[in-house]
Amino acid sequence: MHASIDHLLSLRDGQPVDAATVAHVDQCARCLAELRKLRETQVKLQSLPQLDAPSSFQEIQRAMARPANAPRRIVSARLVAALAFVTLTAIFFVALRDGTRTPVAEHKPVEQQTPAIDIIETARVPELVARSQQLEDLLQKLPDRPRIERVSTAAMIDTIEDRIQWLDFQLSDARDSGLNEEQTRRLWRERVELMDSLVKVRYAEGGVSF
Amino acid sequence: MSQFAGIEVTAEMISAACNGDTRAQELIYRSYQRPVYSLIRRLIARPAIADELFQDTFIEVLRSLRSYCGDGAFGGWVRAIAVNKCLMYLRSPWHRSFAYLDADENEPIADLLIDAASGPDAQVQAKHDVELALASLPPLTRTVVWLHDVEGYTHGEIARLMGRTASFSKSQLARAHQRLRELLDPESESLPCTHLSTIC
Repeated sequence: MHASIDHLLSLRDGQPVDAATVAHVDQCARCLAELRKLRETQVKLQSLPQLDAPSSFQEIQRAMARPANAPRRIVSARLVAALAFVTLTAIFFVALRDGTRTPVAEHKPVEQQTPAIDIIETARVPELVARSQQLEDLLQKLPDRPRIERVSTAAMIDTIEDRIQWLDFQLSDARDSGLNEEQTRRLWRERVELMDSLVKVRYAEGGVSF
Repeated sequence: MSQFAGIEVTAEMISAACNGDTRAQELIYRSYQRPVYSLIRRLIARPAIADELFQDTFIEVLRSLRSYCGDGAFGGWVRAIAVNKCLMYLRSPWHRSFAYLDADENEPIADLLIDAASGPDAQVQAKHDVELALASLPPLTRTVVWLHDVEGYTHGEIARLMGRTASFSKSQLARAHQRLRELLDPESESLPCTHLSTIC
């Protein structure tokens, strides 16, 4: 039996370790090699390069000038352009796939209107974009949110909407960030799943039957 | 060694920044923006969240300058604010409610961290592998290994920050190294985590 990783880490960091462990490690080539590797890993972590911040000082100043409770919105021209592109692409695919289908009834049960999640798992990006747009359309058809609602429901809806907004930001920046097709597909898949959840929560909130 | 060490900010500069001198504030920002952002990105894998926490950190630093009483290094004070912001985020229901979404993903987040032009190929690849391995650790484990091994926090300090025990910090550090070893050196035989015996 050799020294545990806990003991070796304590030795590496100069913390007290019982004499038997120290004596063992001094004579055991394998434990010494392990100790050396732990030191090397620490050096590797310490040598990772520093990263440049995304915000300039002027941006920090602008953020400081905003009222403390004002929401920060990450909206850029690129994001707007990307959303416009996504919308047009989605409309194209929806028109292509569902051109002759009759419009969805306003209060049709939600399972019949939203795609099954297991299909989404394997769907490709254009399909996911189209489904995301379908769900957007469905959301638009729902009645307005009630003026008085449960705090937990409101918080859940806000959280989902924030997450969708964050995903939109990631997707708008996908090309510059060097995301590959699979990563982009995952982001779209997550967006569809969240849109699906949002529609269901909104249905439940509005008292519309499932 | 902590990336905050060795950054010199004079008391006069802090005083001027405190009195609203934007030039002094900008100098403080320029001095600490890289270590602060690097720390946050290593603790928080999601870039959009890290960017927001970075802004929040500097807003608090610049707004709270008066509360820095001069005890201890200024860099340590700035770093403590950044670490607290990250830990508050990791403890938040917002983060926990979406943690499950990351459970099955192995996003190569580190792709975004290493600049391909920053060194010879092998060296860049090695650093890329370390970034990737670090990013794949669970958030708390990653935080413990970074704070301990890079920023130099003791287990007691980490325990206080996280509201846990020093043993928790030690076990997370051991788990982190075990996992890093598996990812960075998969062919090496790992030692069993058993207590020492006299037989070698």
